[in-house]
Amino acid sequence: MNLALNMDFHFETTVEKLWSALTESDKLAKWIADNDFKPIVGHRFQFRHPPSEYWDGIVNSEVLVVDAPHRLSFLWVVGEERHTVTLTLEDLGDGKVQLHLEQTGLSNQAALAGAKYGWGAWAQKLEQVLAE
Amino acid sequence: MNKIQQRDVFDAIADPTRRRLIQLLAESEDRPLHELTAQFPMGRTGVSKHLSILKEAGLVQDRKVGRETRYRLNAAPLKEVQDWVAYYSKYWSANMMRLGQLLEEDDEP
Repeated sequence: MNLALNMDFHFETTVEKLWSALTESDKLAKWIADNDFKPIVGHRFQFRHPPSEYWDGIVNSEVLVVDAPHRLSFLWVVGEERHTVTLTLEDLGDGKVQLHLEQTGLSNQAALAGAKYGWGAWAQKLEQVLAE
Repeated sequence: MNKIQQRDVFDAIADPTRRRLIQLLAESEDRPLHELTAQFPMGRTGVSKHLSILKEAGLVQDRKVGRETRYRLNAAPLKEVQDWVAYYSKYWSANMMRLGQLLEEDDEP
């Protein structure tokens, strides 16, 4: 399974503040979903999104890597889908921090019905999204 | 017409040569093997093998025109991939907006 989603985000903050937003349960709840996360490798937890017609909103997770304040990785299991999400922080200087998100490892069925983009738009993204 | 897919589309696009083939075929109607081979540092046999794998995944169709075989893209199976990528890129972009707001609020006294 080599397909990966890679995205970069930039924030005007410090690595420490960003790290706390990624690893404190009440802060994670504000930007991902309600959860019982703890920054302990092996800790099993859930993200509980509001249910929709497509799924019950539950993501089953397990903490894989806690490398403060640089890298956090956890499992992301929804039904048959079993992914790994890895968040990497990098201090860019001048009060800017880059957050790199990688989501990898998908199963045979894209069970989640997402927004429907045309083939053209997808082709343009082919290089950036699928490049390893 | 719904042919049985012999190969998982995600396996088919896991290889960089095959992704490049998909891109080349996406840029034109259909192309013969020798034109495609010219784009790669490998011979006809190698490129032909990759095309067979794409065919098994339903991503490529071929047809005989005189003495040559021409290949064209059938993008439909990629929808599975596209849905996954589109869903999660939207999901995370929305989340990151909220994360940005959260970090700004933290700065307020």
